[in-house]
Amino acid sequence: MIHFYHVTKRFDAYSTALHDVTFHIEKGEFVFLTGASGAGKSTLLKLILRQMQPSEGQVVVNGRNLKAMKRSQLPFFRREIGMVFQDFKLIERMTVFENLSFILTVLGVPPREHKKRAYGALRAVSLHHKLNSYPLQLSGGEQQRIAIARALINDPLVIVADEPTGNLDPDLTQEIVQIFAEANLRGSTVLIATHDRELIEQSGRRVITLDHGRITDEKVAVPQRAPRVESIFGIGG
Amino acid sequence: MPLPDESLPKNTVSYFFLEAMRRMWVSKRTSFVAIAMIAISLFIVGAFLLVAENLGRAVAHAGGTSRVNIYLNSDATPQQIAAVDSWLAAHHDFAGRKFVSKEAALARFREYFANLSGVVGQLDENPFPASFECEVAPGVAQSPAFASQAAELRAIAGVEEVQFDWEWVEKLKKLINLVNLAGLIAGGLLAIAAAFTIANVIRLTMLLYREEIDIMRLVGATERMIRGPFLIEGILQGLLGAAVAVALLAAAFLAGRHFLAPRNSLLWGFLFNGFLPWQKLAALLAGGMLAGYLGSWMSVRESGEET
Repeated sequence: MIHFYHVTKRFDAYSTALHDVTFHIEKGEFVFLTGASGAGKSTLLKLILRQMQPSEGQVVVNGRNLKAMKRSQLPFFRREIGMVFQDFKLIERMTVFENLSFILTVLGVPPREHKKRAYGALRAVSLHHKLNSYPLQLSGGEQQRIAIARALINDPLVIVADEPTGNLDPDLTQEIVQIFAEANLRGSTVLIATHDRELIEQSGRRVITLDHGRITDEKVAVPQRAPRVESIFGIGG
Repeated sequence: MPLPDESLPKNTVSYFFLEAMRRMWVSKRTSFVAIAMIAISLFIVGAFLLVAENLGRAVAHAGGTSRVNIYLNSDATPQQIAAVDSWLAAHHDFAGRKFVSKEAALARFREYFANLSGVVGQLDENPFPASFECEVAPGVAQSPAFASQAAELRAIAGVEEVQFDWEWVEKLKKLINLVNLAGLIAGGLLAIAAAFTIANVIRLTMLLYREEIDIMRLVGATERMIRGPFLIEGILQGLLGAAVAVALLAAAFLAGRHFLAPRNSLLWGFLFNGFLPWQKLAALLAGGMLAGYLGSWMSVRESGEET
Protein backbone atom coordinates (compact mmCIF):
# COMPACT_ATOMS: atom_id res chain seq x y z
CA MET A 1 0.00 0.00 0.00
CA ILE A 2 2.85 2.42 0.91
CA HIS A 3 6.20 1.83 -0.76
CA PHE A 4 9.35 3.94 -0.51
CA TYR A 5 12.16 3.08 -2.93
CA HIS A 6 15.53 4.66 -2.11
CA VAL A 7 13.91 7.95 -1.19
CA THR A 8 16.14 10.91 -0.39
CA LYS A 9 14.75 14.31 0.48
CA ARG A 10 17.13 17.26 0.41
CA PHE A 11 16.06 20.79 1.27
CA ASP A 12 19.42 22.28 0.32
CA ALA A 13 23.04 21.25 0.07
CA TYR A 14 23.44 21.22 3.85
CA SER A 15 20.07 19.87 4.93
CA THR A 16 18.95 16.35 4.05
CA ALA A 17 15.82 15.13 5.83
CA LEU A 18 15.78 11.57 4.48
CA HIS A 19 18.67 9.44 3.18
CA ASP A 20 18.01 6.52 0.86
CA VAL A 21 14.89 5.34 2.71
CA THR A 22 13.31 2.11 1.52
CA PHE A 23 10.38 0.37 3.22
CA HIS A 24 7.07 -1.28 2.35
CA ILE A 25 3.78 -1.24 4.20
CA GLU A 26 1.26 -3.74 2.92
CA LYS A 27 -2.49 -3.28 2.68
CA GLY A 28 -4.21 -3.66 6.07
CA GLU A 29 -1.03 -3.23 8.12
CA PHE A 30 -0.82 -1.08 11.25
CA VAL A 31 2.64 0.41 11.53
CA PHE A 32 4.31 2.85 13.89
CA LEU A 33 6.98 5.25 12.69
CA THR A 34 9.21 6.50 15.44
CA GLY A 35 12.32 8.50 16.01
CA ALA A 36 13.55 11.55 17.85
CA SER A 37 12.50 15.05 16.88
CA GLY A 38 14.16 15.95 13.57
CA ALA A 39 14.57 12.31 12.58
CA GLY A 40 12.50 12.88 9.41
CA LYS A 41 9.12 11.49 10.47
CA SER A 42 7.07 14.50 9.38
CA THR A 43 8.97 14.78 6.09
CA LEU A 44 8.21 11.13 5.38
CA LEU A 45 4.50 11.69 6.04
CA LYS A 46 4.49 14.78 3.83
CA LEU A 47 5.96 12.69 1.02
CA ILE A 48 3.10 10.19 1.42
CA LEU A 49 0.51 12.96 1.09
CA ARG A 50 2.59 14.49 -1.72
CA GLN A 51 2.93 17.75 0.09
CA MET A 52 6.46 17.56 -1.27
CA GLN A 53 8.32 15.48 -3.82
CA PRO A 54 11.40 13.36 -3.11
CA SER A 55 14.75 14.60 -4.37
CA GLU A 56 15.59 11.04 -5.36
CA GLY A 57 13.74 7.74 -5.38
CA GLN A 58 10.07 6.85 -5.76
CA VAL A 59 7.06 6.91 -3.48
CA VAL A 60 4.16 4.63 -4.42
CA VAL A 61 0.90 4.81 -2.48
CA ASN A 62 -2.09 2.62 -3.29
CA GLY A 63 -0.44 1.66 -6.58
CA ARG A 64 0.19 5.26 -7.67
CA ASN A 65 3.62 6.61 -8.29
CA LEU A 66 3.32 10.04 -6.72
CA LYS A 67 6.07 11.54 -8.84
CA ALA A 68 4.18 10.68 -12.02
CA MET A 69 0.76 11.68 -10.74
CA LYS A 70 -0.98 14.53 -12.61
CA ARG A 71 -1.65 17.58 -10.51
CA SER A 72 -5.34 17.48 -11.39
CA GLN A 73 -5.58 14.03 -9.80
CA LEU A 74 -3.89 14.99 -6.56
CA PRO A 75 -7.13 16.04 -4.74
CA PHE A 76 -8.74 12.69 -5.52
CA PHE A 77 -5.67 10.85 -4.31
CA ARG A 78 -5.68 12.84 -1.07
CA ARG A 79 -9.32 11.95 -0.46
CA GLU A 80 -8.21 8.33 -0.14
CA ILE A 81 -5.91 9.28 2.72
CA GLY A 82 -7.10 10.27 6.17
CA MET A 83 -4.38 12.53 7.49
CA VAL A 84 -4.12 13.64 11.11
CA PHE A 85 -1.78 16.61 11.23
CA GLN A 86 0.45 17.39 14.18
CA ASP A 87 -0.96 20.94 14.28
CA PHE A 88 -4.51 19.61 13.67
CA LYS A 89 -5.17 21.98 10.73
CA LEU A 90 -8.74 22.71 11.74
CA ILE A 91 -10.40 25.75 10.19
CA GLU A 92 -10.77 28.11 13.12
CA ARG A 93 -13.69 30.13 11.81
CA MET A 94 -15.77 27.00 11.33
CA THR A 95 -17.54 25.06 14.06
CA VAL A 96 -16.61 21.44 14.66
CA PHE A 97 -19.60 20.37 12.59
CA GLU A 98 -18.67 22.74 9.76
CA ASN A 99 -15.08 21.45 9.75
CA LEU A 100 -16.41 17.94 9.21
CA SER A 101 -19.20 19.01 6.90
CA PHE A 102 -16.68 20.77 4.67
CA ILE A 103 -14.84 17.48 4.10
CA LEU A 104 -18.11 15.82 3.24
CA THR A 105 -18.86 18.63 0.76
CA VAL A 106 -15.44 18.06 -0.83
CA LEU A 107 -16.26 14.36 -1.05
CA GLY A 108 -19.62 15.06 -2.67
CA VAL A 109 -21.73 13.66 0.19
CA PRO A 110 -25.29 15.10 0.01
CA PRO A 111 -25.82 17.82 2.67
CA ARG A 112 -28.73 15.93 4.24
CA GLU A 113 -26.27 13.22 5.32
CA HIS A 114 -23.70 15.59 6.81
CA LYS A 115 -25.17 15.83 10.28
CA LYS A 116 -25.52 12.08 10.67
CA ARG A 117 -22.01 11.37 9.37
CA ALA A 118 -20.43 14.14 11.44
CA TYR A 119 -22.24 13.04 14.57
CA GLY A 120 -21.13 9.45 14.03
CA ALA A 121 -17.48 10.48 13.53
CA LEU A 122 -17.54 12.68 16.63
CA ARG A 123 -19.19 9.97 18.71
CA ALA A 124 -16.27 7.70 17.86
CA VAL A 125 -13.93 10.19 19.53
CA SER A 126 -16.42 10.98 22.34
CA LEU A 127 -16.88 14.58 21.27
CA HIS A 128 -20.40 14.46 19.83
CA HIS A 129 -21.48 17.08 22.37
CA LYS A 130 -18.99 19.58 20.86
CA LEU A 131 -20.70 19.70 17.48
CA ASN A 132 -21.30 23.46 17.62
CA SER A 133 -18.08 24.51 19.34
CA TYR A 134 -15.29 26.35 17.56
CA PRO A 135 -11.79 24.79 17.56
CA LEU A 136 -10.35 27.57 19.72
CA GLN A 137 -12.97 26.83 22.38
CA LEU A 138 -11.57 23.31 22.73
CA SER A 139 -8.50 21.99 24.52
CA GLY A 140 -5.50 20.73 22.55
CA GLY A 141 -6.57 17.15 23.18
CA GLU A 142 -10.09 17.83 21.99
CA GLN A 143 -8.81 19.51 18.84
CA GLN A 144 -6.62 16.48 18.28
CA ARG A 145 -9.63 14.20 18.47
CA ILE A 146 -11.65 16.40 16.11
CA ALA A 147 -8.76 16.14 13.63
CA ILE A 148 -8.89 12.36 14.03
CA ALA A 149 -12.66 12.34 13.49
CA ARG A 150 -12.17 14.36 10.32
CA ALA A 151 -9.51 11.96 9.06
CA LEU A 152 -11.73 8.91 9.68
CA ILE A 153 -15.04 10.32 8.47
CA ASN A 154 -14.64 8.81 5.02
CA ASP A 155 -13.26 5.38 6.00
CA PRO A 156 -10.07 6.14 4.04
CA LEU A 157 -7.88 3.49 2.45
CA VAL A 158 -4.86 4.83 4.30
CA ILE A 159 -4.71 6.63 7.63
CA VAL A 160 -1.58 8.65 8.30
CA ALA A 161 -1.24 10.35 11.67
CA ASP A 162 1.51 12.64 12.85
CA GLU A 163 1.83 12.47 16.65
CA PRO A 164 -1.92 11.91 17.11
CA THR A 165 -1.60 11.30 20.83
CA GLY A 166 0.86 14.06 21.58
CA ASN A 167 -1.70 16.17 23.41
CA LEU A 168 -3.64 13.41 25.09
CA ASP A 169 -3.54 11.93 28.58
CA PRO A 170 -2.77 8.19 28.87
CA ASP A 171 -6.42 7.08 29.02
CA LEU A 172 -7.36 9.08 25.95
CA THR A 173 -4.23 7.82 24.21
CA GLN A 174 -5.47 4.25 24.62
CA GLU A 175 -8.91 5.28 23.41
CA ILE A 176 -7.51 6.93 20.28
CA VAL A 177 -5.23 4.01 19.48
CA GLN A 178 -8.30 1.81 19.82
CA ILE A 179 -10.12 3.98 17.27
CA PHE A 180 -7.22 3.58 14.83
CA ALA A 181 -7.18 -0.15 15.52
CA GLU A 182 -10.89 -0.39 14.70
CA ALA A 183 -10.36 1.54 11.47
CA ASN A 184 -7.54 -0.89 10.71
CA LEU A 185 -9.90 -3.81 11.29
CA ARG A 186 -12.36 -2.23 8.85
CA GLY A 187 -9.61 -2.38 6.23
CA SER A 188 -7.67 0.87 6.48
CA THR A 189 -3.89 0.74 6.37
CA VAL A 190 -2.58 2.76 9.32
CA LEU A 191 0.74 4.55 9.75
CA ILE A 192 1.24 6.49 12.97
CA ALA A 193 4.26 8.65 13.63
CA THR A 194 4.96 8.98 17.32
CA HIS A 195 7.83 9.16 19.78
CA ASP A 196 5.70 7.66 22.57
CA ARG A 197 7.87 4.59 23.30
CA GLU A 198 5.39 3.16 25.78
CA LEU A 199 2.55 3.32 23.29
CA ILE A 200 4.67 1.55 20.68
CA GLU A 201 5.93 -1.14 22.99
CA GLN A 202 2.44 -2.03 24.21
CA SER A 203 1.05 -2.17 20.67
CA GLY A 204 2.67 -5.35 19.41
CA ARG A 205 2.74 -3.74 15.97
CA ARG A 206 5.47 -3.28 13.41
CA VAL A 207 7.73 -0.32 14.13
CA ILE A 208 9.97 1.60 11.73
CA THR A 209 12.61 3.68 13.49
CA LEU A 210 14.16 6.70 11.85
CA ASP A 211 17.34 8.41 13.00
CA HIS A 212 18.78 11.42 11.23
CA GLY A 213 16.79 10.58 8.12
CA ARG A 214 17.83 6.93 7.92
CA ILE A 215 15.91 3.80 8.84
CA THR A 216 17.88 2.32 11.71
CA ASP A 217 15.49 -0.37 12.85
CA GLU A 218 12.44 -2.23 11.59
CA LYS A 219 10.82 -4.77 13.91
CA VAL A 220 7.60 -5.92 15.50
CA ALA A 221 7.20 -4.55 19.00
CA VAL A 222 6.84 -7.09 21.76
CA PRO A 223 4.02 -6.01 24.09
CA GLN A 224 5.26 -5.24 27.58
CA ARG A 225 3.14 -6.38 30.49
CA ALA A 226 2.87 -3.00 32.11
CA PRO A 227 -0.58 -1.52 31.61
CA ARG A 228 -0.71 1.71 33.49
CA VAL A 229 -3.70 0.92 35.72
CA GLU A 230 -2.16 -2.35 36.84
CA SER A 231 1.17 -0.77 37.58
CA ILE A 232 -0.45 2.01 39.57
CA PHE A 233 -2.51 -0.36 41.73
CA GLY A 234 0.07 -3.14 41.88
CA ILE A 235 -2.34 -5.71 40.49
CA GLY A 236 -1.00 -8.78 38.72
CA GLY A 237 2.41 -10.24 38.61
CA MET B 1 -8.16 1.98 -9.79
CA PRO B 2 -8.00 5.12 -11.95
CA LEU B 3 -8.66 8.45 -10.29
CA PRO B 4 -11.56 10.51 -11.63
CA ASP B 5 -11.01 13.69 -13.59
CA GLU B 6 -11.42 16.98 -11.82
CA SER B 7 -15.13 17.62 -11.31
CA LEU B 8 -17.32 19.32 -8.77
CA PRO B 9 -19.55 17.64 -6.22
CA LYS B 10 -23.22 18.38 -6.87
CA ASN B 11 -23.79 20.50 -3.79
CA THR B 12 -20.86 22.85 -4.40
CA VAL B 13 -22.70 25.59 -6.27
CA SER B 14 -24.66 26.56 -3.17
CA TYR B 15 -21.41 26.27 -1.19
CA PHE B 16 -19.72 28.69 -3.64
CA PHE B 17 -22.46 31.30 -3.29
CA LEU B 18 -22.75 31.03 0.48
CA GLU B 19 -18.98 31.21 0.91
CA ALA B 20 -18.67 34.14 -1.51
CA MET B 21 -21.37 36.11 0.29
CA ARG B 22 -19.92 35.29 3.68
CA ARG B 23 -16.44 36.43 2.62
CA MET B 24 -17.83 39.64 1.15
CA TRP B 25 -19.58 40.28 4.44
CA VAL B 26 -16.43 39.56 6.44
CA SER B 27 -14.40 41.94 4.20
CA LYS B 28 -17.09 44.59 3.95
CA ARG B 29 -14.81 47.57 3.47
CA THR B 30 -12.66 46.14 0.71
CA SER B 31 -15.75 44.71 -1.00
CA PHE B 32 -17.35 48.14 -0.82
CA VAL B 33 -14.37 49.71 -2.60
CA ALA B 34 -14.59 47.16 -5.39
CA ILE B 35 -18.35 47.58 -5.76
CA ALA B 36 -18.02 51.38 -5.75
CA MET B 37 -15.37 51.27 -8.47
CA ILE B 38 -17.56 49.11 -10.70
CA ALA B 39 -20.58 51.33 -9.95
CA ILE B 40 -18.72 54.54 -10.89
CA SER B 41 -17.36 53.01 -14.11
CA LEU B 42 -20.67 51.63 -15.26
CA PHE B 43 -22.54 54.79 -14.24
CA ILE B 44 -20.33 56.76 -16.59
CA VAL B 45 -20.75 54.22 -19.38
CA GLY B 46 -24.51 54.20 -18.73
CA ALA B 47 -24.72 58.01 -18.80
CA PHE B 48 -23.05 58.12 -22.21
CA LEU B 49 -25.30 55.33 -23.44
CA LEU B 50 -28.36 57.18 -22.20
CA VAL B 51 -27.43 60.42 -23.96
CA ALA B 52 -26.62 58.53 -27.16
CA GLU B 53 -29.86 56.56 -26.88
CA ASN B 54 -31.98 59.69 -26.62
CA LEU B 55 -30.11 61.46 -29.38
CA GLY B 56 -30.68 58.35 -31.45
CA ARG B 57 -34.40 58.49 -30.70
CA ALA B 58 -34.49 62.13 -31.83
CA VAL B 59 -32.75 61.19 -35.07
CA ALA B 60 -35.07 58.26 -35.63
CA HIS B 61 -38.04 60.53 -35.03
CA ALA B 62 -36.78 63.01 -37.62
CA GLY B 63 -35.57 60.34 -40.00
CA GLY B 64 -38.95 59.50 -41.60
CA THR B 65 -39.24 62.83 -43.40
CA SER B 66 -36.94 65.71 -44.24
CA ARG B 67 -38.09 69.18 -43.47
CA VAL B 68 -37.16 72.28 -45.46
CA ASN B 69 -37.65 75.62 -43.71
CA ILE B 70 -37.96 78.67 -45.92
CA TYR B 71 -37.43 81.70 -43.69
CA LEU B 72 -38.77 84.99 -44.98
CA ASN B 73 -37.35 88.46 -44.51
CA SER B 74 -38.83 90.25 -41.52
CA ASP B 75 -40.02 92.99 -43.86
CA ALA B 76 -41.42 90.67 -46.55
CA THR B 77 -44.59 92.08 -48.09
CA PRO B 78 -47.80 90.07 -48.39
CA GLN B 79 -47.24 90.05 -52.17
CA GLN B 80 -43.76 88.56 -51.76
CA ILE B 81 -45.16 85.94 -49.38
CA ALA B 82 -47.89 85.11 -51.88
CA ALA B 83 -45.26 84.79 -54.63
CA VAL B 84 -43.25 82.35 -52.58
CA ASP B 85 -46.42 80.39 -51.80
CA SER B 86 -47.27 80.26 -55.52
CA TRP B 87 -43.77 79.03 -56.35
CA LEU B 88 -44.03 76.27 -53.75
CA ALA B 89 -47.49 75.27 -54.98
CA ALA B 90 -46.17 75.04 -58.51
CA HIS B 91 -43.33 72.70 -57.54
CA HIS B 92 -44.53 69.21 -56.69
CA ASP B 93 -41.75 68.39 -54.14
CA PHE B 94 -42.61 71.47 -52.06
CA ALA B 95 -46.36 71.18 -52.37
CA GLY B 96 -46.97 69.90 -48.80
CA ARG B 97 -46.23 73.29 -47.31
CA LYS B 98 -47.32 75.00 -44.13
CA PHE B 99 -47.08 78.73 -43.45
CA VAL B 100 -45.87 79.72 -39.97
CA SER B 101 -46.49 83.39 -39.20
CA LYS B 102 -44.23 85.47 -36.95
CA GLU B 103 -46.84 85.21 -34.21
CA ALA B 104 -47.13 81.45 -34.57
CA ALA B 105 -43.31 81.12 -34.43
CA LEU B 106 -43.21 83.17 -31.22
CA ALA B 107 -45.99 81.10 -29.68
CA ARG B 108 -44.17 77.91 -30.59
CA PHE B 109 -40.95 79.17 -28.98
CA ARG B 110 -42.82 80.07 -25.80
CA GLU B 111 -44.32 76.59 -25.74
CA TYR B 112 -41.04 74.75 -26.33
CA PHE B 113 -38.82 76.92 -24.15
CA ALA B 114 -41.10 77.82 -21.29
CA ASN B 115 -38.16 78.92 -19.15
CA LEU B 116 -37.04 81.51 -21.73
CA SER B 117 -40.43 82.93 -22.61
CA GLY B 118 -39.94 85.80 -20.18
CA VAL B 119 -36.79 86.90 -22.00
CA VAL B 120 -38.67 87.15 -25.30
CA GLY B 121 -41.44 89.09 -23.61
CA GLN B 122 -38.97 91.84 -22.72
CA LEU B 123 -38.07 92.48 -26.38
CA ASP B 124 -39.69 95.39 -28.23
CA GLU B 125 -40.60 93.39 -31.27
CA ASN B 126 -41.11 89.77 -32.25
CA PRO B 127 -37.64 88.49 -33.38
CA PHE B 128 -38.95 85.36 -35.11
CA PRO B 129 -39.32 85.41 -38.90
CA ALA B 130 -42.32 84.00 -40.73
CA SER B 131 -41.57 80.82 -42.64
CA PHE B 132 -42.86 78.04 -44.83
CA GLU B 133 -42.29 74.48 -43.61
CA CYS B 134 -42.24 71.77 -46.27
CA GLU B 135 -42.16 68.02 -45.56
CA VAL B 136 -40.06 66.40 -48.27
CA ALA B 137 -39.27 62.72 -48.80
CA PRO B 138 -35.61 62.12 -47.73
CA GLY B 139 -34.63 60.58 -51.09
CA VAL B 140 -35.93 63.60 -53.00
CA ALA B 141 -34.46 66.10 -50.57
CA GLN B 142 -30.90 64.96 -51.16
CA SER B 143 -31.10 64.76 -54.98
CA PRO B 144 -29.18 67.21 -57.26
CA ALA B 145 -32.43 68.35 -58.92
CA PHE B 146 -33.80 69.35 -55.53
CA ALA B 147 -30.63 71.33 -54.78
CA SER B 148 -31.08 73.41 -57.95
CA GLN B 149 -34.72 74.04 -57.05
CA ALA B 150 -33.61 75.19 -53.60
CA ALA B 151 -31.15 77.60 -55.21
CA GLU B 152 -33.97 78.94 -57.37
CA LEU B 153 -36.08 79.38 -54.24
CA ARG B 154 -33.35 81.31 -52.47
CA ALA B 155 -33.35 83.83 -55.33
CA ILE B 156 -37.03 84.75 -54.90
CA ALA B 157 -37.59 88.18 -53.34
CA GLY B 158 -38.56 88.03 -49.66
CA VAL B 159 -36.75 84.73 -48.98
CA GLU B 160 -34.07 85.15 -46.28
CA GLU B 161 -32.80 81.59 -45.94
CA VAL B 162 -33.58 78.02 -46.98
CA GLN B 163 -32.65 75.43 -44.30
CA PHE B 164 -32.61 71.65 -44.56
CA ASP B 165 -33.01 69.71 -41.31
CA TRP B 166 -31.15 66.61 -42.61
CA GLU B 167 -27.99 68.62 -42.19
CA TRP B 168 -28.39 68.72 -38.43
CA VAL B 169 -29.63 65.12 -38.46
CA GLU B 170 -26.32 64.16 -40.07
CA LYS B 171 -24.46 66.24 -37.50
CA LEU B 172 -26.48 64.59 -34.74
CA LYS B 173 -25.62 61.14 -36.08
CA LYS B 174 -21.92 62.04 -35.94
CA LEU B 175 -22.41 63.35 -32.40
CA ILE B 176 -24.09 60.09 -31.38
CA ASN B 177 -21.16 58.10 -32.73
CA LEU B 178 -18.79 60.40 -30.84
CA VAL B 179 -20.77 60.06 -27.60
CA ASN B 180 -20.85 56.28 -27.97
CA LEU B 181 -17.13 56.16 -28.64
CA ALA B 182 -16.31 58.47 -25.72
CA GLY B 183 -18.53 56.37 -23.45
CA LEU B 184 -16.90 53.16 -24.54
CA ILE B 185 -13.37 54.54 -24.11
CA ALA B 186 -14.01 56.21 -20.74
CA GLY B 187 -16.12 53.33 -19.48
CA GLY B 188 -13.73 50.73 -20.83
CA LEU B 189 -10.75 52.33 -19.11
CA LEU B 190 -12.67 52.65 -15.87
CA ALA B 191 -13.94 49.08 -16.15
CA ILE B 192 -10.36 47.86 -16.55
CA ALA B 193 -9.39 49.87 -13.45
CA ALA B 194 -12.39 48.38 -11.64
CA ALA B 195 -11.38 44.86 -12.68
CA PHE B 196 -7.90 45.47 -11.24
CA THR B 197 -9.47 46.79 -8.04
CA ILE B 198 -11.52 43.61 -7.77
CA ALA B 199 -8.39 41.58 -8.52
CA ASN B 200 -6.63 43.25 -5.59
CA VAL B 201 -9.61 42.79 -3.31
CA ILE B 202 -9.76 39.09 -4.17
CA ARG B 203 -5.99 38.84 -3.72
CA LEU B 204 -6.33 40.31 -0.23
CA THR B 205 -9.15 37.91 0.56
CA MET B 206 -7.07 35.00 -0.65
CA LEU B 207 -4.20 36.10 1.58
CA LEU B 208 -6.63 36.25 4.48
CA TYR B 209 -7.71 32.68 3.73
CA ARG B 210 -4.28 31.35 2.77
CA GLU B 211 -4.09 28.89 5.65
CA GLU B 212 -7.60 27.70 5.01
CA ILE B 213 -6.83 27.21 1.32
CA ASP B 214 -3.79 25.10 2.27
CA ILE B 215 -5.98 22.93 4.51
CA MET B 216 -8.56 22.59 1.75
CA ARG B 217 -5.88 21.37 -0.65
CA LEU B 218 -4.56 18.87 1.91
CA VAL B 219 -7.95 17.31 2.52
CA GLY B 220 -8.58 16.84 -1.19
CA ALA B 221 -10.44 19.92 -2.39
CA THR B 222 -9.96 20.53 -6.10
CA GLU B 223 -8.64 23.83 -7.41
CA ARG B 224 -12.09 24.53 -8.84
CA MET B 225 -13.62 24.06 -5.43
CA ILE B 226 -11.03 26.34 -3.82
CA ARG B 227 -11.23 29.01 -6.50
CA GLY B 228 -14.99 28.82 -7.08
CA PRO B 229 -16.03 31.03 -4.15
CA PHE B 230 -13.44 33.66 -5.11
CA LEU B 231 -14.67 33.75 -8.70
CA ILE B 232 -18.27 33.99 -7.52
CA GLU B 233 -17.22 36.74 -5.11
CA GLY B 234 -15.79 38.76 -8.00
CA ILE B 235 -18.88 38.16 -10.14
CA LEU B 236 -21.17 39.17 -7.27
CA GLN B 237 -19.15 42.33 -6.64
CA GLY B 238 -19.38 43.18 -10.34
CA LEU B 239 -23.12 42.47 -10.41
CA LEU B 240 -23.74 44.54 -7.28
CA GLY B 241 -21.65 47.40 -8.68
CA ALA B 242 -23.59 47.28 -11.95
CA ALA B 243 -26.91 47.17 -10.10
CA VAL B 244 -25.89 50.23 -8.07
CA ALA B 245 -24.84 51.99 -11.31
CA VAL B 246 -28.21 51.24 -12.97
CA ALA B 247 -30.09 52.40 -9.86
CA LEU B 248 -28.08 55.64 -9.72
CA LEU B 249 -28.58 56.18 -13.44
CA ALA B 250 -32.35 55.68 -13.11
CA ALA B 251 -32.45 58.06 -10.15
CA ALA B 252 -30.41 60.67 -12.04
CA PHE B 253 -32.64 60.25 -15.10
CA LEU B 254 -35.85 60.68 -13.13
CA ALA B 255 -34.44 63.64 -11.21
CA GLY B 256 -33.20 65.22 -14.43
CA ARG B 257 -36.52 64.75 -16.14
CA HIS B 258 -38.31 66.20 -13.12
CA PHE B 259 -36.09 69.21 -12.46
CA LEU B 260 -34.41 70.00 -15.79
CA ALA B 261 -37.07 69.13 -18.30
CA PRO B 262 -40.28 71.08 -17.82
CA ARG B 263 -43.00 69.73 -20.00
CA ASN B 264 -42.58 70.45 -23.70
CA SER B 265 -39.11 71.91 -23.31
CA LEU B 266 -37.36 71.16 -26.58
CA LEU B 267 -33.91 71.70 -25.09
CA TRP B 268 -34.09 69.01 -22.37
CA GLY B 269 -37.08 67.15 -23.61
CA PHE B 270 -35.23 65.07 -26.17
CA LEU B 271 -32.41 64.23 -23.73
CA PHE B 272 -34.91 62.81 -21.23
CA ASN B 273 -37.21 61.26 -23.74
CA GLY B 274 -36.80 57.75 -22.33
CA PHE B 275 -34.55 55.50 -20.21
CA LEU B 276 -32.23 52.83 -21.53
CA PRO B 277 -33.91 49.80 -23.10
CA TRP B 278 -33.72 46.54 -21.18
CA GLN B 279 -31.12 45.13 -23.57
CA LYS B 280 -28.66 47.89 -22.67
CA LEU B 281 -29.46 47.56 -18.97
CA ALA B 282 -28.79 43.83 -19.24
CA ALA B 283 -25.54 44.62 -21.06
CA LEU B 284 -24.49 46.93 -18.22
CA LEU B 285 -25.21 44.20 -15.65
CA ALA B 286 -23.37 41.64 -17.78
CA GLY B 287 -20.46 44.08 -18.15
CA GLY B 288 -20.22 44.42 -14.38
CA MET B 289 -20.24 40.66 -13.93
CA LEU B 290 -17.61 40.25 -16.64
CA ALA B 291 -15.33 42.87 -15.05
CA GLY B 292 -15.78 41.13 -11.68
CA TYR B 293 -15.06 37.73 -13.16
CA LEU B 294 -11.94 38.94 -14.96
CA GLY B 295 -10.69 40.64 -11.79
CA SER B 296 -11.13 37.56 -9.63
CA TRP B 297 -9.79 35.31 -12.39
CA MET B 298 -6.59 37.38 -12.49
CA SER B 299 -6.10 36.74 -8.77
CA VAL B 300 -6.99 33.06 -8.56
CA ARG B 301 -4.84 32.33 -11.62
CA GLU B 302 -1.81 33.44 -9.60
CA SER B 303 -2.69 31.23 -6.64
CA GLY B 304 -2.02 27.87 -8.20
CA GLU B 305 0.93 26.95 -5.98
CA GLU B 306 0.75 23.38 -4.90
CA THR B 307 0.49 22.52 -1.24
